[in-house]
Amino acid sequence: MNSAALRDDRLVDLLVKQTTEGVTLEEQAEIERLLATYPGADREMLARTAAAIALAGVEEEPMPTALRDQLRDNAARWVVSRESKVTDFAGRREARTTAAANVESARDGTGRISPSARWPWFAAAACLVLAVTGWWPRLRDAQDTQQANVPVVTEPPAQVTPEPVPPEPTIAQRREQLLAGGAAVSVPWSNTDDPASRGVTGDVVWDNEKQTGYLRFSGLAANDPQRTQYQLWIFDKEQDQRFPVDGGVFDIPAGATEVVVPIKAAIAVREPLMFAVTIEKAGGVVVSEREHIITLAKTPAAAG
Amino acid sequence: MAESVLKRIAHGDPRAVADCIDEFGGLVWSIARRLTRARADAEDAVQEIFTDIWRSAARFDPAQGSEKVFIATIARRRLIDRMRRSSAEPATESTDVLDHAGWADPGSRGEICVEAERAAQAVAQLRPDQQKVLQLGIVNGLTHSEIAKTTGMPLGTVKTNMRRGLLQVRELMSVLVDDTGEVRS
Repeated sequence: MNSAALRDDRLVDLLVKQTTEGVTLEEQAEIERLLATYPGADREMLARTAAAIALAGVEEEPMPTALRDQLRDNAARWVVSRESKVTDFAGRREARTTAAANVESARDGTGRISPSARWPWFAAAACLVLAVTGWWPRLRDAQDTQQANVPVVTEPPAQVTPEPVPPEPTIAQRREQLLAGGAAVSVPWSNTDDPASRGVTGDVVWDNEKQTGYLRFSGLAANDPQRTQYQLWIFDKEQDQRFPVDGGVFDIPAGATEVVVPIKAAIAVREPLMFAVTIEKAGGVVVSEREHIITLAKTPAAAG
Repeated sequence: MAESVLKRIAHGDPRAVADCIDEFGGLVWSIARRLTRARADAEDAVQEIFTDIWRSAARFDPAQGSEKVFIATIARRRLIDRMRRSSAEPATESTDVLDHAGWADPGSRGEICVEAERAAQAVAQLRPDQQKVLQLGIVNGLTHSEIAKTTGMPLGTVKTNMRRGLLQVRELMSVLVDDTGEVRS
């Protein structure tokens, strides 16, 4: 942490609390906002100091054998899942692509695994697994929705041209179907202090089992996709709260009154605690500076 | 010099994931036992912590500190998160036990890392009430309110001692590093 950040009493108080007894999601968001005003600040400094103190005070004892065996089993499963599901943060950069990028990758047949993540003997098998479970469904989703990050404007209703086969349901209809299934949670948006949040309403619908969900907005300002885009973040109970899951970027077209956007989580979400929408540069970012948090939606799990 | 186990995990060495358990299992287990109320909780927590460690291995930067500190930082974060979730449960350790809790005997800590040595030296230079607050809060995992109840200190005093103590240890550790010319923690 740099010296300027250390003079910020509120930030230091929050970091001490985070390091010693934990913080709430609101406090975590405040930490992020404050840290954003101190570029280059070492956010982990106090946590490392506390860890060193803990190490000084702990007498090391051997781990129980049964637990060690369990961990070894977990390790073996994790190694396999890492290759097939892109679960690490480094891999998220690879996974966090727009629908357009997915289409482009599929067209030229590249982009399945980054060179740095490529494991020698596993590579061929992993490519096959990814082809079956990773890229193809994403490509299909992208084609289904024309552009997966282009929302559907539900008012006024779109013209439906008669087709020889039943038309695919719109994104708004899929949202309704998901809700009707009974397994999805629906959480209303909460506004923030950001001026862009004023008057924004709507909700998040998320089905954890299906790993599918939709955002609905009214009153969210149209963006210029060449300059900025909205980006969704999902705070997962199982993930480090500083690195929420990327839920995809999306645009709000001018003149839309209500907009529904499909969620495109870059990796599996175990137990979502909160959904947040930020404004980012066009194309989105890997880690948000969280300078413009527009809406938040805490799930019931966050209260528990 | 052999590549660190975290670097090996980040580079995709499948054996490194199991090696990490062998190398740091005792450390993580010991921290978890301190910061959980029950043995079963510690066992669950250790499994979550190792998953966090494997996922986060690519973020390890040796310039920021040792692997032990990196791993202890992840372990504490996960354990604090679990403690917050189960905060409704009352502490089961008695004040008597806590009164006798002290800093570990250096001879019993096994292969202690340089940052821990410096932290111990730094803590020794603090006022006794600050040492007590750091001991109870950081080593034993009590909340500020629990520390206040245990020690009889007003809550505000606990918070002040925690903040000042932590910052002083950080500063003293930096001085110790500067004296030796080694990497800062």
